[in-house]
Amino acid sequence: MTIGEAVPRIESKDKVTGFARYANDTQSPGLLHGWLVLSPVSHAQILSIDISQALAVRGVQAVITGQYFPVLTGGVLADRPPLAVNKVRYFGEPIAVVVAETEHIAKRAAELVRAEYRPLAYVSSPSQALKPDSALVHEDLGSYRKYGDVYPEPGTNVGNRVKIRKGDMRSGWAAGEFVVEGAYAFNTSDHGAMEPRCAIVEAMPSGLVEVRTSTQDPYNIKRLFQRFFQVDQSKVAVKVPFVGGGFGGKGSCQLEYIAYLASTACGGRPVKLNNIRETDLVGSPCHIGLEAKVKLAATREGKLTAGEITFLFDNGGYTDEGALVTQAAAVDCTGPYRIDNVWCDALSVYTNHPYATAFRGFGHTEAMFCVERTMDLLAKKLRMDPMELRYLNAIKAGDTSPTQAPFDSSNLGDLTKCIDKLKSLIRWDEGQRIVLDGHKVRAIGLACIWKTSGSAVDTGSGATITFNHDGTPNLSIGSVEIGQGNRTVMAQILAERMNMPVRLVHVKMDVDTQITPEHWKTVASSSTTMVGRAVLDAAEDVIAQLKRNAAIVLGRLPETLEVGHGKVYANDDPSVSLEIGAIASGYMYPDGSASGEPVIGRGRYRVHRQSRLDPETGRGIPGLQWTVGAEAVEVEFDTRECTYRIVKAASVIDAGKVINEGTARGQVAGGMNMGLSFASREAFLFDAKGAVLNPQLRSYKMIRFGENPIYLVDFVETPFLEGPYGARGIGEHGTIGMPAALANALSVAAEVELNELPLTPELIWRNREARG
Amino acid sequence: MISFDFQYERPESIEEAVQAFQRADSAGLEPIYYSGGTEIISMARLNLLRTGAVIDIKGIPECNVMAVRQDRFVIGSAITLTNVVEANLYPLLSETSRNVADFTNRNKITIGGNLCGKFYYREALLPFLLADSQVVLAGAGGLRQVPIDLVMNGEPRLEKGELLVQIISEARYLALPFITVKKTKQEKIDYPIVRVTGLRAAEGIRMAFSGVSEAAFRSRELEEVLNDTALPVQERIEVAIRRWPYPILNDILSSAAYRTFVLRNTLTDAMEALERRRL
Repeated sequence: MTIGEAVPRIESKDKVTGFARYANDTQSPGLLHGWLVLSPVSHAQILSIDISQALAVRGVQAVITGQYFPVLTGGVLADRPPLAVNKVRYFGEPIAVVVAETEHIAKRAAELVRAEYRPLAYVSSPSQALKPDSALVHEDLGSYRKYGDVYPEPGTNVGNRVKIRKGDMRSGWAAGEFVVEGAYAFNTSDHGAMEPRCAIVEAMPSGLVEVRTSTQDPYNIKRLFQRFFQVDQSKVAVKVPFVGGGFGGKGSCQLEYIAYLASTACGGRPVKLNNIRETDLVGSPCHIGLEAKVKLAATREGKLTAGEITFLFDNGGYTDEGALVTQAAAVDCTGPYRIDNVWCDALSVYTNHPYATAFRGFGHTEAMFCVERTMDLLAKKLRMDPMELRYLNAIKAGDTSPTQAPFDSSNLGDLTKCIDKLKSLIRWDEGQRIVLDGHKVRAIGLACIWKTSGSAVDTGSGATITFNHDGTPNLSIGSVEIGQGNRTVMAQILAERMNMPVRLVHVKMDVDTQITPEHWKTVASSSTTMVGRAVLDAAEDVIAQLKRNAAIVLGRLPETLEVGHGKVYANDDPSVSLEIGAIASGYMYPDGSASGEPVIGRGRYRVHRQSRLDPETGRGIPGLQWTVGAEAVEVEFDTRECTYRIVKAASVIDAGKVINEGTARGQVAGGMNMGLSFASREAFLFDAKGAVLNPQLRSYKMIRFGENPIYLVDFVETPFLEGPYGARGIGEHGTIGMPAALANALSVAAEVELNELPLTPELIWRNREARG
Repeated sequence: MISFDFQYERPESIEEAVQAFQRADSAGLEPIYYSGGTEIISMARLNLLRTGAVIDIKGIPECNVMAVRQDRFVIGSAITLTNVVEANLYPLLSETSRNVADFTNRNKITIGGNLCGKFYYREALLPFLLADSQVVLAGAGGLRQVPIDLVMNGEPRLEKGELLVQIISEARYLALPFITVKKTKQEKIDYPIVRVTGLRAAEGIRMAFSGVSEAAFRSRELEEVLNDTALPVQERIEVAIRRWPYPILNDILSSAAYRTFVLRNTLTDAMEALERRRL
């Protein structure tokens, strides 16, 4: 049995020795290098771009601007040109690309591109963007093409609006004896993946376009290239080697577009665009910002009766995946609690900030920060234990989601079990706030989380299995190995079903869209559940084929045979058997005659039972299942200096079934680290005109190794009947509750309500000073 | 990646270095002396610094000295912060250097670079200001030895083309009771929003600061205030803050108000610690 075991990741040795190849490790003869020229202003008309000096540099092949191919691209709303056309909408927006024989020449020439701008009014926040007199980021919003459920409001800065209307608000407020309200805010920030984005595109004379890139979404690139460049999908081949972390940031297409245009401008020679860190931080899409209001009502006993939630997402200059982040935040807007009366408006708002895309948690990290802070406000008002309040309202089978999706014991994890486990894991009963020596106090903050799998409605996964002559299987799947350990987990799932050792399963590491069966995309904590099901289906297929081949040779019926231990054997007499190696390509008798057929397995999984959301009420089924969890953070706070140390962070997640104990813990602990880093210190800082003041890691700080707390991870296993061996997605969930748990802990410790991020000591001090 | 081209020279003696500088300067190359290079590389790749020639001083024997000789602590400008920390000949200097940047960078950052670079934190300068050290400078006219206070306090005031060769301190300062405290916005590894170093000498407390303002400095006036035992400590600190000789910084690390809050706390702790530590 391999399911549940902490099988070491199969690619680790190549990674720690530096042999693993990432997109930027590719060199080829004839490879050209691009360098992006970025806008130094946040909102301006482009008066002119002078490329003559750059073109004159020896070794420069081409310099192109937005005018080279003025097309609008986007995921669901086509609002963004690959290179700015006529105006720029954020500090860091690419306005030109210089292509040269070496990266060095390209950079030098890029410094010679001269652009003139006429500044436009800077749209500095969602609330400012919604004022009637605000400048418009997109004047032509009404003319933009849509490719999905998105509701832009022309003449305003609203890129998308999602509405949730459930129950009857009037009776909800009437039943609520206690009402609390909180306002929350944080700036845009970044993913900070270890590998900056890199794309290499070659537009060959035959018409074939080869794209080698660090992406989470290889298959969609085919669709996008057809949509925006009129290249047949059959002519687009996307190859994805290892990806060094994405966290949502590599789920949308950007550099690929520019590298393609650059290649066509250079006679089809391959062009590499490799982001430097500074460009990756602000030029490429970042983590969304938010201004929000949450109002909750409850009975005197603490039972929630109504929730009114307004999310104004700071989507920056373009909507990208942010339009869908907005929807995802809305569909789970209440947090994992039963509230029968819900009103939510979630808006994707254009500002002149770097544009935002998906980030780990996909709207939930952001939404739960606001809701879980409000739950603590409510507990305080009710004079109730915040753990007890959450337990009392925990969502259960039989309840419905804010979009009125019905829950059963399969599509919803068990939150109360998670809370129970968390309670002992963090020793809740020892007290939430403990005064230590001197100026120090220890405090614990809580947050419960949930997130639906939330894939696109029209999606699925595939898997193929072939065999080596020694009888070992080769598995090919379309999820991207992005550091999450997906290849190892898939090997375990196949090994378990084939009843064989994991080390004998060979998984193709990279993705090649020409031959690898499609998986939707490597996002939304969905690879284990979706691709895992396809792998199981492929396993069934090869087992049936192996039995057919063996049945002829053994003279037995296929249904009397079993597969395991590298053999096909009779279920009533295991000594009657054949090695898989002897029948995997059909069987050859001693006299040279043959029977059977080569075994090639195919596995499929299609998402069923999801539905689109009603635009007026949000009614619909947004995902297959909801992973739930309970999280906590313990801080040691200095009441004199307002500084703090994060001592512990704990997560109990209902994983359905843990496939790999090691990678599951790694995902949850890594997720917590990311959430804590975001909550404690990450945010872009802007000057009065919207220039980013900290567009480099010298000033944009992330948690370093050694600054991390002790991570406590535990699981509950309530099987998701459709998941492989019952597994649910867990990739993002560690992140989701951390901002709220940290803010709740520090609010208790500092005895002041902290509703903004990041939670710097200065922010705490400022709030305390304001309180007086 | 640095996009501009520049010459690289690695002289073996002080004279060669000074001549190389003059040659490059008269050729219009705007040369700079180079030792650890962390600041040059990080600024040059963003075009915040440009030069046509770097003169690497790591091959100069005098710049690589670190020893206590005849009651003198001599340290060459090319000694790395890691070496300073490990040798621990001047504990205040070691403790102050220990949390400048991160370990990898301390392996490269040198005393000379930290004192003469463009970043105004210059934390390694403070212990020398407190010890009334002397600097050995090499220029067109040969070597000169001057009090560090004259050419470094507040900001470097070296002549053009002058090379910091060594810093010489009297050994009697090395073992005095001291304090060094670094407060950052949040991180262990970051620039200081307040760095306070203090030394308890026979005549009283000496203090030098970095991160509070755009200058790393020691002020005799502030020391007078802080040593004025006629006033309670807290009052002395308030007077010192009021008479702060430079504007208190207001930047992305901290507002001026929060910096002042942190400075007040840090000064209080530093004064208490130093007054407790008897000679």
